Amino acid sequence: MIEEILPVFLGLFTDYTLRYVALGSAILGITSGALGCFTVLRRQSLFGDALAHAALPGIGFAYLFAGTKSSLLLVLGAAIFAWFAGIITLAITSTTRIKQDAALGITLSVFFGLGIVLLTFLQSIGGASQGGLDRFLFGQAAALIESDVINLGILAVMCLTVLVVFYKEFKITTFDSSFGQSLGFPIKYLNALLTSVIVVAVVIGLHTVGVVLMVSMLIAPAAAAKQWTLNLKSMMVLSAIFGGLSGIVGSMISSTAEGMSTGPVIVITITAILGISLLFSPKQGYLFKYLRNQRKTQRPLDAIKTFSDTEKENHGNLQ
Amino acid sequence: MEISSDLIIVGTAVLVAANCASIGVFLVLRQMAMMSDAISHAVLLGIVIAVFAVGGREPVPVIVGGVLSGILTVSLVELLYRSGKLKQDSSIGIVFPFLFAIGVILVTQAGTVHIDAQHVLYGSIEFAPFDTLYVDELNIGSKSLWVLGILAIANVSFIGILYKELKITTFDKSLALGMGLMPMLVHYLLMIMVATTAVVAFESVGAILVIAFFIVPASAAYLLTDRLSRMLVISTSLGIASAVTGYMFAVFADVSISGSMATVAGIIFGLIWVFAPNRGLISRWRRISRQRFEIDLGIMLTHIQNETDAERQVSVFTMSQSLGWTEEYSKKVGDFIEEQEFVKRDTQGNFVLTGLGLKKAKDYSS
Repeated sequence: MIEEILPVFLGLFTDYTLRYVALGSAILGITSGALGCFTVLRRQSLFGDALAHAALPGIGFAYLFAGTKSSLLLVLGAAIFAWFAGIITLAITSTTRIKQDAALGITLSVFFGLGIVLLTFLQSIGGASQGGLDRFLFGQAAALIESDVINLGILAVMCLTVLVVFYKEFKITTFDSSFGQSLGFPIKYLNALLTSVIVVAVVIGLHTVGVVLMVSMLIAPAAAAKQWTLNLKSMMVLSAIFGGLSGIVGSMISSTAEGMSTGPVIVITITAILGISLLFSPKQGYLFKYLRNQRKTQRPLDAIKTFSDTEKENHGNLQ
Repeated sequence: MEISSDLIIVGTAVLVAANCASIGVFLVLRQMAMMSDAISHAVLLGIVIAVFAVGGREPVPVIVGGVLSGILTVSLVELLYRSGKLKQDSSIGIVFPFLFAIGVILVTQAGTVHIDAQHVLYGSIEFAPFDTLYVDELNIGSKSLWVLGILAIANVSFIGILYKELKITTFDKSLALGMGLMPMLVHYLLMIMVATTAVVAFESVGAILVIAFFIVPASAAYLLTDRLSRMLVISTSLGIASAVTGYMFAVFADVSISGSMATVAGIIFGLIWVFAPNRGLISRWRRISRQRFEIDLGIMLTHIQNETDAERQVSVFTMSQSLGWTEEYSKKVGDFIEEQEFVKRDTQGNFVLTGLGLKKAKDYSS
């Protein structure tokens, strides 16, 4: 067993490709893990899903106009479209009676359709030169090179800095936005800022897990962390750790098998972490809850028994 | 019987659109749009397992596999959020990527399964004409047309037979419970129909664009009518219209057919969102500005009355000063009430209430 795992683990330090794959995935996991706490707590989980899908036409347009596959430009295009989709979703829900779920479905599918149209259009005019673009559908961490990882790292540091600087503001707008308003916080701008950081995290994710599975990286680490703690700060740290860990473990596992894409493996890893948390967390886990309930149902019976026993003893004493 | 391949593609697209758009009405009304997102992704797992088990893409095992994984998704989501540990949206966002990821790994691992990872996302309607169905070695025509046709009959009968039940459980759950209509049973039957539709549409338009047909036409129809029966008809027609227009555009521009159909559906939705009578952006904007004008009219009359009582002069200028309006707007409202003969203007241009205006001002202030 250990002879099989050890080389893979050592590969992290020796294998050039694996190192960047693991590093890129870890960067994504940490960023989306920390930010995901807010999307989960604000019940905006599927918002991230829609943003990820809506970023696709941005990648197509960026390539169409700039003609380069430089990761920064594609990131910019993707971010603009994801932002735009977010605004349209809000506009639909605030000006019509269409509810949020349907509005998300509309932006998600229509923007994605437009993205596919653009990608196939690029394919028809440019032949094989666009070959690298459809890797954003499922992500292709294996294609990450040093410059990509550096760019993603810079973006991630930016996101996390914003998160640390505005931690208190984000916390208040998340848990009690009317209280925040009464304190004079510019709620509207804070929400826009938080959405922007989430957009950046989503865009980082497009490189490694792709548009379809991105939502999992936002939700699962945060949901898992929530099982272990009720404190936002520790939840964020734990969630970032879970996210980063699943990125590294996922890329290690996928490197062992030929043709196993990294994105899906990372998603399965993080879902497994969530499953373990749901079952075994000491306070909220199913297992310990079940055991506690067992004890609770026994306790009243014991109590009644002891009560009647002491009654008997007392009567016995009196007589 | 030979049908041209263009006709088979358009026919497939129209049937996919009609099937999804009619069932989608209930998804939009029940606020379960994202459940269709989850189901349409998760059917991949069932399809792949079915293909493994049978060794081919026979319609019946594929549909059974897909529907089973659809039901698995719905049950898992409900299990998670009923446990109180996760909210509904989080549960959806965890369950379907997980099942989808397993499906993707199975697809990429097994070279024998002829499913291309990309076509999982946006389908391969282009190949519909090449996939024919054989009964006793006899070619009976396009497989997709047959399967989608049978599905259309199933969907129409489902909605027709359970129309009353669907309607009442959608709009008034407690009434449905009181009438003994079993909302949970209706819910699961609907989910089975959604999963069946998603599996069948999967090959043509893929896991994501099928959502465009479930949700977009139905949402557009929701902006045009208040009657369920009309909404079903409008949604289906809009779905068909986007399928046909989308196909024509795709052929013209040489791009993905399913992507183009989804884009056209989005454009149609956008147009209806802007121009719909009563619920469109334009009529909404008109209604709001009309209401605001009416309120401002009352404010102005009351203001003139108050100032007259205090023996002060009111002109367009003083009004814009004290009410904080632009002079232009004050003049516009002033001209309007003068036209309505609520006020007259004296020689210096100051407003003086007429008898009619005084009565109106008292109406407003009371």
